[in-house]
Amino acid sequence: MKKSKVISENIYSEIPIYPLRDLSYDFLGLHWENPFILAAAPSTDELEIVRRGLQMGWAGAILKTTSIEGNVVDLAYPMMSTFNHDGKKLFGMGNIDLISEHHIDKVEYNVRKLKKEFPEKIVAASIMAGRKEDWQRLVERLEKAGVDFIECSFSCPQGNIGEDPGKMLAQSISATELTAKWVKEAARRVPVSIKITPHVTDIVDVAKAVKRSGADALTAANSLQALMGVDIRTFVPYPQLNGKSTYSGMTGPAIKPLTLRTISEIARNVDIPILGTGGASTWSDAVEFMAVGAGVVQYCTAVMHYGFRIIDDLKSGMSHYLDEMKFKSVMDIYRKALPHIATHDEFTRRKIRSHINEATCIQCEACYLACRDGGHMAIDRNPNRIPKVDWDKCVGCGLCEHVCPVDGCIEMRIMK
Amino acid sequence: MTTDNLQMTNQQARVETERCLQCFDAPCIQACPTHIQIPTFISMIKSGNIRGAAEVVKTSNAMANVCGKICPEEVYCQSVCNRANEDAPIQIRELHFYATQSEARNKFSQVNPFPKSGKQVAVIGGGPAGIGCAFELAKLGHEVTLFDGKGLGGVPKNSIPSFRLTENELQDDLKFLSTYFSVKKEEITDAKFSQLKNKFDAIYLGVGLGKDRPLGLKGENLSGVYPVLKFLEATKVKQKKMSVGKKVVVVGGGNVSLDAAATAKRLGASEVILIYRRSEAEMKVWKSELEEARKQGVEIHFLTNPFEIIGNMKVSGIKCRRTTLSKKKDASGRPIPVEVKGSDFILDADTVIIAIGQSIGSDIVNRFKRNSKGFIAVDKNYQTSMKSVFAGGDAISGEGTIVQSVAHGKQAAHAINKILLGKK
Repeated sequence: MKKSKVISENIYSEIPIYPLRDLSYDFLGLHWENPFILAAAPSTDELEIVRRGLQMGWAGAILKTTSIEGNVVDLAYPMMSTFNHDGKKLFGMGNIDLISEHHIDKVEYNVRKLKKEFPEKIVAASIMAGRKEDWQRLVERLEKAGVDFIECSFSCPQGNIGEDPGKMLAQSISATELTAKWVKEAARRVPVSIKITPHVTDIVDVAKAVKRSGADALTAANSLQALMGVDIRTFVPYPQLNGKSTYSGMTGPAIKPLTLRTISEIARNVDIPILGTGGASTWSDAVEFMAVGAGVVQYCTAVMHYGFRIIDDLKSGMSHYLDEMKFKSVMDIYRKALPHIATHDEFTRRKIRSHINEATCIQCEACYLACRDGGHMAIDRNPNRIPKVDWDKCVGCGLCEHVCPVDGCIEMRIMK
Repeated sequence: MTTDNLQMTNQQARVETERCLQCFDAPCIQACPTHIQIPTFISMIKSGNIRGAAEVVKTSNAMANVCGKICPEEVYCQSVCNRANEDAPIQIRELHFYATQSEARNKFSQVNPFPKSGKQVAVIGGGPAGIGCAFELAKLGHEVTLFDGKGLGGVPKNSIPSFRLTENELQDDLKFLSTYFSVKKEEITDAKFSQLKNKFDAIYLGVGLGKDRPLGLKGENLSGVYPVLKFLEATKVKQKKMSVGKKVVVVGGGNVSLDAAATAKRLGASEVILIYRRSEAEMKVWKSELEEARKQGVEIHFLTNPFEIIGNMKVSGIKCRRTTLSKKKDASGRPIPVEVKGSDFILDADTVIIAIGQSIGSDIVNRFKRNSKGFIAVDKNYQTSMKSVFAGGDAISGEGTIVQSVAHGKQAAHAINKILLGKK
């Protein structure tokens, strides 16, 4: 089946015939070409790579986290691992990467170069330090180099270049507030955003501390600490480094619901702009992130998996979505979901029952099984294998709807 | 190429997109003559951006909906799909059709206004080759007038059976395209050609074939004997419910002969026999269409050569002779069939359809240099022996695919553009 392959040459480039909708808007005092930016990651560490991303249409990039000179970044390889689920690879991605290996001089050079080549794009830097003077020196140097904003990593889950080794800065409310204050003090021209971690007891308390510090924004959230898996024959977890492993920072589609919760919790309780990151892969993910309170959405794992080219679908998909919804700007999405988030005791209790559409049922009886063993034994079997709901037993939990493999076959209806 | 196929459901489409490997520099893009950005449109369907997917397809292929329905994917995109190295190729054509049909059902996307060059180009021929060129020229800013005595549509409109392509499916493309160039329902004869030559900055010929090749046998003029194009056009364009009788014999061996055989079966014939003088290996058909014809009950008699059509006023049968394949090969590289002495037999027939190939019908072609096969000779820029006159489609390469003709048109348009802009 293997065929010989040649690297192809495009015969002619296509003439674009469909107009590109203007997706630009203002947020955090900055003008964004679209809401899709590149998160601080390997994709934003090399000038040539970032340049390609920006040329392909990304609105901006946050260069990979830099620190003060003298700190040795001691990487260990392999650093990547994945969480595969149900035959789907890369449902979650784990890394034990650290910050950029580039000297701050190089990062400054990259900022200058990128801002010169792409004056309309957002070029930001991500920083991480320990001592006050280091944080402030980084801010000053990068501000001078021309960044549009600075993101402060208070939450690198792998490294321990913080004031309290082994613990993330953003896990301490007082340290977060204090450090964010130092950073804000040093930033004269550009906004600063504090990148927090969801690994806290109460994310709202952390967000409030950031707000009190005077910092301009908050980046929510970061990768989640995870043990990516264990080799069941050697018992060495992943990634495997000479018989040892450690906890990874997990990203990708698997963490999206957790990030949505983090962003929405902050947005509902603290008045501070949020940059969303963690698990967004598609244009509709961006819609969800913005609907729960993110002003821009950062992408990383999806780019590392599929390349910068995903920006074509992000922009096209978002444009058509805005048209369909008759929205004028992406900011029409902003915070739209928040009024719909309530607490459990606030719901109106209604009588709901499951309805199975016999015409689209494919007779797998997955709903029967789920209800029998995990629900209320409210679905009956039939000789024709089309299950029937016993409305006296059905409570309307919705499990059957979600195990059904056919879109729209089972729906929950309100009973009169 | 399945017949009577229904569009994929949303769920089927989504599940299929998840199988796509999203290859870098994907071989399917190169295998498609119009170079549709296949992984991009597939990822768009996956993300739920179906309108975006249709736009990607239509950016590359002007006859998007038609190709989505009947393009022989097995010889193009799907034949090189890397997923086949793992299990089975992605159903690219089905996904393509799903996207274009969804768009057509929900209003066409707005297109950017095209620039204006002030140059005028005449396109002769309203089929895929002409349409491919006309739309690409329009995109490049040139004012295009397309001439065709039968209007817009060409082979897809006139002779592809409606069980393979419905009028509505064709119209979904034509409705979209027809606003970007003007169409004149006018046959361009040799005399009129000279007038066009003076009036337009360039001319493109997408005149196709259109003339049935006769067998040259006794009895070919009997009633009930049809050249294949006449037969297909009569059943399609005129919507005439033809009576083909019980027994139909089709003489041929190409895709058009399969179309005719399947059409005859649908018109009520109880026995349809396709006779071909060589063996299955030499047939110039798409395997899926052959399978489909067989499924419909078409019998194929290989190594059979007709030598006389018999009947009294009306056809009653066809005299045939068995053949064997010699070791010698003809110009097409296929073994030459040799008749076997004493193997004569008669096949009864109420209708005989002759589908042994076509030649160019338009009389304009006599002005141009031809290649060894009698088609219009062009250089690598699709320019004919006459300056500023270009050609593409079946008229330069013989019976081909729709997508190939669209691609010719597109490439010729870029060559024409270069010359027109150079003239300034």
